[in-house]
Amino acid sequence: MLAKLGFRNMKRSMRDYTVYMLTMTLITALMYAFNSLIFQNELIKQLETDSIMEMMIGFATFFIMLIVVWLIHYMVRFMLEKRSGEFGIYLLLGMKKRTISRLYMQENLLLGGVSFLAGILLGILLQQVLMTVMFAMVRMEYRLHISFHKGTILMTTLCYGGCFLLALLRCRRKFKKMSIQSLMNARRQNEEIREKNEEVKRILFPLSVIFILMFWRWFGGLESTEETLVFLTGLVLTIYLFYIGISAWIICYVRGKGEGIYRGQNLFLLRQFASKIRTMQFTMGTLTALFTLALMGASIALMFSEYENTVLDDKFPFDIQIWSGDTENDFAEEKKVIEENAKVREYFAYHIYTDEENRVNTFALTHTKNYGTIFWAEDGSPDSVKIKNFLQNQNVYYEYDTYMGISDYNHLRKMLGYREVRLNPDEFLVQVKPRLAEEFQEICGDMEIWGAQKGDYLKCAGVCGDSFSQDGHNGADYVIVVPDTVIKRMKPYYLELAVKVSGGVSKDLRKKLDALLRQEDLPFAENPGLEDLYEDGNFLRCGSDNIINYAVENLVRDNLIPEVKYMLASLIIPLFYIGLVFVCVAVTVLSVQQLSDSAKYRYRYDVLAKLGLERGQINRLILKQLSAYYLCPALLAVIISGKMILYASRIFVEMTGVPASPVKFFARSILLFFSIYLVYFMVTYVSFKRNVEEKIAGK
Amino acid sequence: MSNPNKNNYIRVCDIEKYYGNASNVTKAIDRVSFHVEKGEFVGVMGASGSGKTTLLNVLATIDRVTAGHIYYEDTDITEMNEDKLSDFRKKNLGFVFQEYNLLDTLTIEENIVLALTLQDRGKKEIQEESTRMLKLLRIEDIRDKFPYQVSGGQKQRCACARALVNHPKLLLADEPTGALDSRSAQTLLETFTDLNRNMGATILMVTHDAFSASYCSRILFLKDGKIFHELVRGDAPGRSFLQDILDVLSLTGGELSDAR
Repeated sequence: MLAKLGFRNMKRSMRDYTVYMLTMTLITALMYAFNSLIFQNELIKQLETDSIMEMMIGFATFFIMLIVVWLIHYMVRFMLEKRSGEFGIYLLLGMKKRTISRLYMQENLLLGGVSFLAGILLGILLQQVLMTVMFAMVRMEYRLHISFHKGTILMTTLCYGGCFLLALLRCRRKFKKMSIQSLMNARRQNEEIREKNEEVKRILFPLSVIFILMFWRWFGGLESTEETLVFLTGLVLTIYLFYIGISAWIICYVRGKGEGIYRGQNLFLLRQFASKIRTMQFTMGTLTALFTLALMGASIALMFSEYENTVLDDKFPFDIQIWSGDTENDFAEEKKVIEENAKVREYFAYHIYTDEENRVNTFALTHTKNYGTIFWAEDGSPDSVKIKNFLQNQNVYYEYDTYMGISDYNHLRKMLGYREVRLNPDEFLVQVKPRLAEEFQEICGDMEIWGAQKGDYLKCAGVCGDSFSQDGHNGADYVIVVPDTVIKRMKPYYLELAVKVSGGVSKDLRKKLDALLRQEDLPFAENPGLEDLYEDGNFLRCGSDNIINYAVENLVRDNLIPEVKYMLASLIIPLFYIGLVFVCVAVTVLSVQQLSDSAKYRYRYDVLAKLGLERGQINRLILKQLSAYYLCPALLAVIISGKMILYASRIFVEMTGVPASPVKFFARSILLFFSIYLVYFMVTYVSFKRNVEEKIAGK
Repeated sequence: MSNPNKNNYIRVCDIEKYYGNASNVTKAIDRVSFHVEKGEFVGVMGASGSGKTTLLNVLATIDRVTAGHIYYEDTDITEMNEDKLSDFRKKNLGFVFQEYNLLDTLTIEENIVLALTLQDRGKKEIQEESTRMLKLLRIEDIRDKFPYQVSGGQKQRCACARALVNHPKLLLADEPTGALDSRSAQTLLETFTDLNRNMGATILMVTHDAFSASYCSRILFLKDGKIFHELVRGDAPGRSFLQDILDVLSLTGGELSDAR
């Protein structure tokens, strides 16, 4: 009998909580699909690369579990409150509290179980989509094949089950404290609008607006960790206090008999909105925080994905490129390995030269946005001691300026399919990374570069911003191209080998080439104990790129692009994962709240109908009410995250040279976010209307 | 059944209301006709299931008749479409229900104001009207309280104020004293009488409480969807009218009092 009751109740709950179940199904599906990246990641086998994907997914799973536990706990408590009258009757009939609590747990587990099974099925499909997307990202073909993996299912079950148990355990305690009286009364309780000190609370609204304005004004300029912490704490407070403030403001406006309340249904709308926000102020704050995080996550993911789609392809213009600090190197070993693994069409070995000065370096450190005024002395001139120190110890720029002869330059341009350039004997040319082309324009006016003889200076022929492999190979950030007669007076600095191949290369060519590196040639990161070997300063420098940076001696395009893309995917995918789940959870809470209200308070609309509102008017009223309720946390989140996203994306664009406007990422993540939002909104609106119409028509 | 000395304000002509499907039909109202005069205070009594709420709902334009016509002066509401009905309801009818049906998010005054704003009145007029009603129903001192903060009687008086603020042709009351204690019930009924006599409000009240009904000027008794008796108060004092009502009820075997 009890089982039957539980089953019936679950069936009824399913109708009432369709939105919740849909979300749980979706979350299970997402969990399954993303967990499969840990256990069934075929890409790792294909790429033969180290992977941080597992760690990142694990990390994301932690945050997602936190939020899912919150959702389940919230929903379980919410349903409990809604059905307390029913439980009161069970108690009255002599059922034991333990039995009722077990019945309720059973129901919830059944509800969860149904969502879970549906979610796993959907997850298997989603996993295929995800794999296809990932394979497409690294430009490989994925053949669909459906398979189960014990690990994936086990981990998903554990996460999901864990969330449920945690949430239900907390509810058990609530059950213990209940009495028949309170249970029976809970049903009849309407929202009591407690209005106290509204005039005082009202101030919170302008205060939070002022704080947000301050946040917009000063966020970019925060320097110390303490300042940032203070600001972030203020922000969290603002998010929560905003809702107290706005509802108090509306209450005061209504009480003050503002002009607006005498028009149409405004009075009803304003009161409805204020009371809902008031009873849910804490939840609303949490939802805003979730939306903010989701928007930020999605934007960052979009930034990296934009990078992957635009800049990355230009990062490695040569098929293979090898750096050597030994200017006498004949690359015999390397050539042997390359020939074993690819079909070579052309080798081109050349030197990068230096005049052992650092005027161009000084220019770069004092004239670009990257460094701002860090290298300026107090009197406004470049701080030469600081600069020298920096150049010797950091792997950003070479210690001395880097030069290249025009004939080598043109040969390389030809290899890349670029138009050759002409240089008069008294001219020089600056070749920089695309993102720096504009900032380097000034160099033409400032720079004095000697010609073949000391005393006569070269004229600047211009700045070229073509992609030219300038992460340490053809210079770090820049190389100055001079006539061959001028290069003769300079000293060879390091040696480069550019290779053109036909067809592909083997997957592990780069690894094989790396194996040839002598210990002292290994990059810093892989060799933390060998700093003393770098005393001579003869090591690869990678230029001023930030955020994403590869300082590697051996560039093999066909190996590196998939590797880097995969690495970026390890970041992009968990971020989207978190963003999606957060948005879904938050919108679910909004929807469930509204839908249960539509059932509980549908007499309100009934009263309005009796007062003579037409059905169309009531529908419009519902639309307005829902829109205000849905938009409020979303807009606040957009405003708050907007500043951080725009700031981050501006820096991202500057540092990585992605050819996009910073607004683009923000706009796109909002678009993404609002499309999910819209789906939930529509579902809620339609069901809300149906609930209300049932009542009006049923009378 | 009409009084030839007055205009027929509301005419109910031979209405029927069926529920159910082809195999199982319930006649909630079975060929009922009656008139209501302007300024009358009519009571409708009947046991549970006698059709009194259905009658009220069709008069209230919330439900539609299966057959017959209902005229408000010259307007036949059974011929109207839904939009016109909403409009008609807005302009001509006021409601008071057992469960008060006040909006819990609005204060007492705002509940009255809302009814006025839905009619697109100006701010000044709305304020004057609502204040007048608050005074009239003696709920001025609780105007800023929320429904949950006031007593049942006060809530019901607020519902009356809201119902009357737009000067409806007819005030429909469905068991208005049902949820009130006897003291509040009496106050409310006195308010009704007062509104009826001094403001000329036409009231139709459904009740199964004989004491409430004794305040009416005329009572229709419903049984199984039909009017089986009618009592007119005339000049009789309240107490003897109550006795008449109880006599009619005892004729039906006390069903009505059992239903209470």
